[in-house]
Amino acid sequence: MNCEVKSKERVGVINPIFTCQPAGAQYVSIGIRDCIGIVHGGQGCVMFVRLLISQHLKESFEIASSSVHEEGAVFGALNRVETAVDVLLMRYPHVKIIPIITTCSTEVIGDDVDGVVIKLNEGLLQEKYAGREVHLVPIHTPSFVGSMVSGYDVALHDFIKYFAEKSEPNGKLNLITGWVNPGDVTELKYLLSEMQIDATVLFEIENFDSPVMPDGNVVSQGDTTIDDLIGTANAYGTIALNRYEGGKAAQYLEKTFKIPTIIGPTPIGIRNTDTFLQNLKKMTGKPIPKSLVHKRGLAIDALTDLTHMFLADKKVAIYGNPDLVIGLAEFCLDLEIKPVLLLLGDDNSFYAKDTRIKALQEKVDFKMEIITNADLWELENRIKNEGLELDLILGHSKGRFVAIDNNIPMLRVGFPTYDRAGLHRYPVVGYNGAIWLAEQMANTIFADMEYKHNKEWVLNVW
Amino acid sequence: MPYHEFKCSECIPERKMHAVVKGPGEDITMALPLGYLNTIPGSISERGCAYCGAKHVIGTPMKDVIHLSHGPVGCTYDTWQTKRYISDNDNFQLKYTYASDVKEKNIVFGAEKMLKQNIIEAFKAFPKIKRMTLYQTCATALIGDDMNAIADEVMEEMPDVDIFVCNSPGFRGPSQSGGHHTINIAWIKDKVGQVEPKITSDYVINYVGEYNIQGDSEVMADYFRRMGIQVLSTFTGNGSYDDLRAMHRAQLNVLECARSAEYICNELRVRYGTPRLDIDGFGFEPLSNSLRKVAMFFGIEDRAQALIDEETARWKPELDWYKERLKGKKVCLWPGGSKLWHWANVIHEEMGVEVISVYTKFGHQGDMEKGISRCEEGALAIDDPNELESVEAMLSLKPDIIFTGKRPGEVAKKIRVPYLNAHAYHNGPWKGYEGWVRFARDIYNAIYSPIHQLSLLDISKDEIPTGNGFVTSGMIANAGLAEEVISAGDLRQYSGKYDCVSDLKNKIYPDFKKVTEE
Amino acid sequence: MDDIKGKIAQLEDYIMKKCLWQFNSRAWDRKDQNENILKISTLLLCEEHFIPETPADRCYWVEAVSLVDAFKNRYPWISALNKTEKKELMEALKERIDFLTITGSLNKELTDPLY
Repeated sequence: MNCEVKSKERVGVINPIFTCQPAGAQYVSIGIRDCIGIVHGGQGCVMFVRLLISQHLKESFEIASSSVHEEGAVFGALNRVETAVDVLLMRYPHVKIIPIITTCSTEVIGDDVDGVVIKLNEGLLQEKYAGREVHLVPIHTPSFVGSMVSGYDVALHDFIKYFAEKSEPNGKLNLITGWVNPGDVTELKYLLSEMQIDATVLFEIENFDSPVMPDGNVVSQGDTTIDDLIGTANAYGTIALNRYEGGKAAQYLEKTFKIPTIIGPTPIGIRNTDTFLQNLKKMTGKPIPKSLVHKRGLAIDALTDLTHMFLADKKVAIYGNPDLVIGLAEFCLDLEIKPVLLLLGDDNSFYAKDTRIKALQEKVDFKMEIITNADLWELENRIKNEGLELDLILGHSKGRFVAIDNNIPMLRVGFPTYDRAGLHRYPVVGYNGAIWLAEQMANTIFADMEYKHNKEWVLNVW
Repeated sequence: MPYHEFKCSECIPERKMHAVVKGPGEDITMALPLGYLNTIPGSISERGCAYCGAKHVIGTPMKDVIHLSHGPVGCTYDTWQTKRYISDNDNFQLKYTYASDVKEKNIVFGAEKMLKQNIIEAFKAFPKIKRMTLYQTCATALIGDDMNAIADEVMEEMPDVDIFVCNSPGFRGPSQSGGHHTINIAWIKDKVGQVEPKITSDYVINYVGEYNIQGDSEVMADYFRRMGIQVLSTFTGNGSYDDLRAMHRAQLNVLECARSAEYICNELRVRYGTPRLDIDGFGFEPLSNSLRKVAMFFGIEDRAQALIDEETARWKPELDWYKERLKGKKVCLWPGGSKLWHWANVIHEEMGVEVISVYTKFGHQGDMEKGISRCEEGALAIDDPNELESVEAMLSLKPDIIFTGKRPGEVAKKIRVPYLNAHAYHNGPWKGYEGWVRFARDIYNAIYSPIHQLSLLDISKDEIPTGNGFVTSGMIANAGLAEEVISAGDLRQYSGKYDCVSDLKNKIYPDFKKVTEE
Repeated sequence: MDDIKGKIAQLEDYIMKKCLWQFNSRAWDRKDQNENILKISTLLLCEEHFIPETPADRCYWVEAVSLVDAFKNRYPWISALNKTEKKELMEALKERIDFLTITGSLNKELTDPLY
């Protein structure tokens, strides 16, 4: 077999690819309107995640902390949750949803967050906030389990489980996007609208890219509503694009409400977007319109300009969220690029059983490594000490120095991409995402050729 | 001096004691915000945790060290690549971070064994690095791992390595300040006195509480070297682990950020009798006074004066160019801790701006005493500000600019208030004479940004000015200036390079002969 | 009386806005600093002899020299005072600084037994 899947051998992490579970839950929470999460733990668990998100999107989002200090860590900190809920509700009259997101510290001390939610529902909310719609949603995301990816999956599942409620069919499709950028949601909604499909998109985060307005009062937040969440039980079908970021919620809806469900593929590249459209067609009975044939044609046209002249046989390493990495690898193969190294940054044991990874193992005809529970040292050590040669790196900004110090061109993809301007505005999914990805990869390589005087004259004639 | 009650915080009355307005003729004995108290849960405070105060603020600027956090991966990831403390060894400390990656099974069965394995692996991956700092996190503090025992075990087995253990979990104290304290005390207790340094000068200092943001400490080290003073160690920006173990051999501790590092100076005073001299490295006059005082301590004032004269002559005309253009501009000075007092008076004096508000995320009452004393009348001082209070303050005070952190800067952007990064700087260094001009330049560029001007226009309502295809910062600034100021030939705009620090590495310094014997 | 009050206010303003030594974090430390630095300042102002002997003394002395220089530069009236007037002025100034930073201070950490 040319393609080997193995786990990092070292026990520790040198330069992590992911942060921990609560970060994923926080990223979910900001996608919902009238929702401010309370992270139950130390203040750093919120402060740094808010910073991280603001680095990526160049926007600020509101997330609160229960500010657990020493006494709380010793004697239990549920009283901090009670105060936090009260203070939030008093000062943010629009807030209706408060997820209570646990962390390692409050899981270790065994704070009964579910219990305190019952207590608050029966006490504070009835006594002080009678008549106000308030939903307290406990979300357990201990940092010593999984990663930000599973945190996203868990939080989404918990929201759905809390809200989804069967009534009349709403004639809509549930589209669960996974951890994406505003630009991706725009592209997905474009595809849906061309197909004339009415969908509940989880999450409506296009306004994560928010404007500076003359009245100066914009607060960045997603637009998914309580009704959207309730209505997920009444959809005629669910498509979850990412197995590891939303798959759990899709399965819950399937199991509980018998909603036909398709999980995957991540529609990165032409082939996976085709499959996505085919799935939409299958689920809705609606035809794929000429307009998308046209859009697809534009993409094929653009890719044809690039593949065999510039991209063929280039060796690339890819790291980041698993569905993104797999989707990018598949697209690279279609572009004749060789993804020689994939790094999946947590210890989820399902990765090795993922059918897409199995397919790579069975069919790839060059030497390829897939590392699970990986860190960025797995990449850098191979380059520095084991002779790995790369033409391109695809990954998020935390790996920037691997590229910089080893003179390897790198295209920023995924989360976070704080060291490049505005990438959150562009899609990597759909036909437009395929165009953007291929052209950015090419331009990244072109700039590198010029900088290194490596056959830069080739581009005189193109 | 009346306490200030924010409308948005009327429902949490304990907040009232955390903000004051400095009224005419009033002083800090009349009202002082409470400080360093537990945060009100759910208030959306801007504070971080004691782990980050120890590891992220003070530990990590040490440049020749493996910085390993014992806990789940998030603490490490989150405090990595969010600072601009550089080093002259190719930024090793910025590039590499290490987590023991504690998982559920370790929580249940203990994580000491895997910690040991972690330490050994990290040294193996970076065979040239022989020093390590080890940080506790919330999770490993709660399960009670004995990190010191593990560190001792490894040091016994690997005699060429040295490991420093810092037990400062995130929950220890109301804010990052708790971590500053813990790591200061741990360092002096466990590490100072272990290394005997090479003394190369008659005049030897530790430069303490300085984190080399964008090269600040390299700029200051340049001044000290030009005066023939040996900087034995920097605590901790661009600092070296072994140099910092030799802190006991300095004759004087020059203290910059008293908020984060006074503890170690105080302890050095008690244990070794080394005096502490607090200085201000920001601003021409405070910096000149500071350099003069350090030199005077050693009886070499003439060297300081020569340096001050040279630097002032070079950079003062540029500072004054900006001062003419920044006069009267209203500033919210909203940093973390020490900069509120480092800057409050000197930006008023030397750049002509009006500080209308100061705040501190993690400062103590002592920082507020300094900050409020150094403000002019009318300033609003806020301790542990939260999101709604900050917005309310910006809307009512209408500042021309705010100096704060990256994320709060995004909040300001929406309110259309330009922001400068008070922690990481925009185009620093901001210390030193040239640095101070760079700060003024950054303020000017932010306030007179043509794009900022455009952000104030409502094209659906306002008259749209159609005559210009462009406007320059200079055109906007000049609109409010007298002709003789605009054409003043003795003033000029900043003339330095984008990177004013890297060249210092290759600089040759005068050889002041060492007179005394060791 | 008003005259001396006004003069002290000027000196106080300088110290509170430009100096840091009066703000060490504990009351006993502030007391030490104020006492030593202002005592030496008074001597220097009165052109009396002071030779620092210990490193700690040198630090106080450095602050005092700096302070007296600033006073003389900014407030020329100070040099016109006679010795007795200078001593009275500095004594009153010390009382004021002690009040601002110690006895009248609202800082609750001043009496913390640890650093």
